[in-house]
Amino acid sequence: MTHFFSQTIWLVPCYALIGAVLAIPWSPGLIRRTGPRPAGYISIFMTLLAFAHSLLALREIWHQAPEYLSFSWLHAAGLNITLDLEVSAVTVGAAAGIAGLNLLAQIYAVAYLEMDWGWARFYSLIALFEAGMCLLALCNSLFFSYVVLEILTLGTYLIVGMWYNQPLVVTGARDAFLTKRVGDLVLLMAVVALLPIAGTWNFTELAQWAQTAQLEPRVATLLTLALVAGPVAKCAQFPLHLWLDEAMEGPYPATILRNTVVVETGAWVLIKLQPVIALSPVASQVVIWIGAVTAIGASLISIAQIDIKRVLSYLVSAYMGLVFVAVGTGQTQTALMFLFTYTIAMALLVMSTGGIVLNNISQNLTHYGGLWSRRPISGICLLVGAGSLVALPPLGGFWALVQMGDFLWKNQPLLFGVLLAVNGLSAFSLARLFGSMFGGKPTAMTVRSPEGLWLLVMPMMVLMGLALHVPLLLLQWQLLPDWSQIDRTVVFLLVFLTIDGLALGSLIYLNEGWKKPVRFGPQFLQDFFAYDLYTAKLYKVTIVFFVGIVSQAVYWFDRFIVDGVVNLVGLATVFGGQSLRYNISGQTQFYVLSILLGISLFLFAIVFPLFNLSF
Amino acid sequence: MLTALILVPIIGAILIGFLPTPEGSNLPRKAALAIAIGLFFYSFWLLTQLDLSQSGVQFTEYLTWAKPIGLNYTLGVDGLALPLVVLNGLLTWVAIYSTREKIHRPRLYYSLVLLVNAGVTGAFVAQNLLLFILFYELELIPVYFLIAIWGGAKSQYAATKFLLYTAVSGILILAAFLGIAWLCGASSFDLATISTEDLSQKSQLILLSLLLVGFGIKIPLVPLHTWQPDAYVESAPSVAILLGGILAKLGVYGLLRFGLELFPETWHLVSPGLAITGSVTVIYGALSAIAQKDIKRMVAYSSIGHMGYILVAAAASTELSVLGGVAQAISHGLILALLFELVGIVEDKVGTRELDVLNGLMNPVRGLPLVSALLITAGMASAGIPGLVGFAAEFLVFQGSFSIFPICTLLCIFASGLTAVYFVILLNRTCFGKLDNKLAYYPRVVRSEQIPALVLTAIIMVLGIHPTWLVRWIEPTTDAIAQSFHKPKIVAISQPNLIASFGSDLDR
Repeated sequence: MTHFFSQTIWLVPCYALIGAVLAIPWSPGLIRRTGPRPAGYISIFMTLLAFAHSLLALREIWHQAPEYLSFSWLHAAGLNITLDLEVSAVTVGAAAGIAGLNLLAQIYAVAYLEMDWGWARFYSLIALFEAGMCLLALCNSLFFSYVVLEILTLGTYLIVGMWYNQPLVVTGARDAFLTKRVGDLVLLMAVVALLPIAGTWNFTELAQWAQTAQLEPRVATLLTLALVAGPVAKCAQFPLHLWLDEAMEGPYPATILRNTVVVETGAWVLIKLQPVIALSPVASQVVIWIGAVTAIGASLISIAQIDIKRVLSYLVSAYMGLVFVAVGTGQTQTALMFLFTYTIAMALLVMSTGGIVLNNISQNLTHYGGLWSRRPISGICLLVGAGSLVALPPLGGFWALVQMGDFLWKNQPLLFGVLLAVNGLSAFSLARLFGSMFGGKPTAMTVRSPEGLWLLVMPMMVLMGLALHVPLLLLQWQLLPDWSQIDRTVVFLLVFLTIDGLALGSLIYLNEGWKKPVRFGPQFLQDFFAYDLYTAKLYKVTIVFFVGIVSQAVYWFDRFIVDGVVNLVGLATVFGGQSLRYNISGQTQFYVLSILLGISLFLFAIVFPLFNLSF
Repeated sequence: MLTALILVPIIGAILIGFLPTPEGSNLPRKAALAIAIGLFFYSFWLLTQLDLSQSGVQFTEYLTWAKPIGLNYTLGVDGLALPLVVLNGLLTWVAIYSTREKIHRPRLYYSLVLLVNAGVTGAFVAQNLLLFILFYELELIPVYFLIAIWGGAKSQYAATKFLLYTAVSGILILAAFLGIAWLCGASSFDLATISTEDLSQKSQLILLSLLLVGFGIKIPLVPLHTWQPDAYVESAPSVAILLGGILAKLGVYGLLRFGLELFPETWHLVSPGLAITGSVTVIYGALSAIAQKDIKRMVAYSSIGHMGYILVAAAASTELSVLGGVAQAISHGLILALLFELVGIVEDKVGTRELDVLNGLMNPVRGLPLVSALLITAGMASAGIPGLVGFAAEFLVFQGSFSIFPICTLLCIFASGLTAVYFVILLNRTCFGKLDNKLAYYPRVVRSEQIPALVLTAIIMVLGIHPTWLVRWIEPTTDAIAQSFHKPKIVAISQPNLIASFGSDLDR
């Protein structure tokens, strides 16, 4: 069997990149005659190519041993940086998934951004994302993973800032960029520090090295913690989670990707780095507990949100927290499977709500109600997405959660409790989302709410079909957990909590008799979660305040101390206070020059005889 | 061959300056442009002719000039000097091209710019200490006039400050050079004939300190930097491009060529202090930039920060870090030139540089969309986003310096986060936001105004994606510099082996 497609797998990111470059000329001001549409069509076509190529490559590489490709990027002064690619079923499958989801999101965007004047920018950026993520999926080098993460940080800044003339968008873009950059730079520190110790950035070699590495515990802890920092920011984990909330100001089609594959870039790198992180028990514990705290905290916050996108975005943080728990406890295979089921479910959730937000012009849950009679297709899709996300047999999320739960139940029962809680809270949150939007009577905002253009519905339906087939796919790939090994208590508890959450959520939000808004506990507690644990304020009074004050102080010091002394000396001695005024006559200029010339000549004259003697 | 690089701009300057042209004629500008393009392509051709298999000085020229004082006309270039010469040619072209066509006293202006080019090139290619000083001072006078005559409101003050500082720098360097030649008993000031090995450590330290302060002013390093923001801000954008893009590189060049290469042993002593100064400069520049309300001043402070990386790299002086330092010098020249170019366009069209006034320039109809897009690219290149040349250079610096000065390197990485902070402030305020439709009647940016920025952006991107095209010219020379620096150590380690091999020889 020829390996043409798997050997040329590097073309997959290139297609998208070419799409990104080709879309740029349709930005306003360059090509005016055709309107911006061709930018989108080019990008979609290139994405289709990337998708097809990766599927063909996947067929070739299926059940084959991984292949490794390597390209030299920079070879200088003893440093040899190569772009290593791993071509295996998992990596190519991930690339195919990314390209496929991108394809759906881009088609979706044709309808969603129909009237938008930022088409070229949007498609160019989303293609850049696709290129970066496909490269990351295939990449087997920590250095290039960092490079991609950093470029995607810039991409996030620009795509969140898509509608840049709104103040919230501007701050959202800023915070997304800076938060992710903090994580990236700490990761960069680790990348720089790791090379002299491990001698390689290749993930495969790093894993081998980690098996035998003898590191001083302090070094190991610092190094691995720094490595974790990048994923923490990317996956919107506490305390770097706020950006994802604010990033919801960006366009919806980009959110389909951001809530799924973009945040998963962090998880992906974390999974790749798991052998290295396991070097330090402290780091493993930190990963687990960051994940656990985020998972619980974010799912609680999700329940307190009244913005549709934010309800979902905090569930993203919560589920990524579970991935952190999985990686921290060493279950990388489970984590990968979890990412797969999660991606499809979350993408479906975002798509199904996006179409509604588009023609009801509101993201506020309290404005909604009674959509079931208006938009059953979206409703069914939302239900399938919700069911696939939580542990509801036989849908996809159930199997991943059961596999993770079984391991935790046997090894770390406390973490199993976290998993149960997150599952239950998420189920409640999703039931609340569905109930608020589809239950009850139509409101002023939802009286007229037809299903959208076919370009919106078709990708959503395709994804729903895929979501329903996830269990079969898992079965086909022999990824389903071995039923005989699974503890039935785990299954029972998970399903029980899911049904509990769904039932309670439905009871409250599908029930018109229940008084809205619903109150849970005292007001301060509700506010605490609704305002995201006051993280924005916390940032403001700590880091933002600190950097602001210090920079002002440094600048003051510069102006009045460093420069002040200079001006004082200049005034007092050289010019007797004449020439440092803002305008001086031409004569004084020559005066200055002659002084300097004189000094130079004088010095030269003094030294010259001395110099002559030395011959 | 190298003489042409110096003589052509001087002759051009004389011709442009003295040949009468009709009032309002565009001839001086066209002539200057032609000369600058010619110089750029010629130096680039020289670059392609550089023999990369050897690290030493090439294309040498020698003329005895003033033998009694040891001043010879010795020219030559290597991988350290020639890329900077090419950068000089490029930025001179950019500076001339981006000058407004209706400038007053055009003949004087263009001839001064060409004189600066000649002076800087001369300093880069001079292989004689006195000749270096001669060119180093020669460039100073035209720059003074360029700032003073075509600058902003406080340009006289800025120009005088610049002149004073740089003259002091020149005097210190001159003193150091005289001391070197005198104490070493060299027969001339030719770089090749000078060796400081026999000097006592104390005198080496004194001479090196003189050089460090002298070049430190030029770079500039904190706390010798206060001339820099004033000079950059008050001069016209094209002059700021020359100042920040290329003149500051004279300091870097001098530091490596005369500091590191002439005093390898004493460099060990001062390097920890230099690394600390470097990281302080980086953080100081970045923090000061955050506090700015004027985008040009912000860029000026950012430049201070970015030059600090080079000092850290020079202090570590591993092969990788020196390579990274020179690469950073070039990448900084390109990025800073682009930033000043764009800030200049913004100021020209919008009429202000105030962050609190600027807003929404991304607006595709009334704003400056392409300039904004390029400004984002430039800012991100400066903040060290991969795929752009700034990252490639900074990464080499970080990786090269980490093994020697880990803490300073980590501080530098931290500071590149601060870089992101002020560029996000800058971009959010200028490019993003809502354009005030009542006020936004800006003149259109015509295509020809965008050309220099587009060219620089293209170079920044290409070199960022394929940094080999940047480092391959530099590497042989910087490798040699770093190896000679580490030689004493290597000898010390290998001495037992030597003795052992001697012993075995005797046994036979």
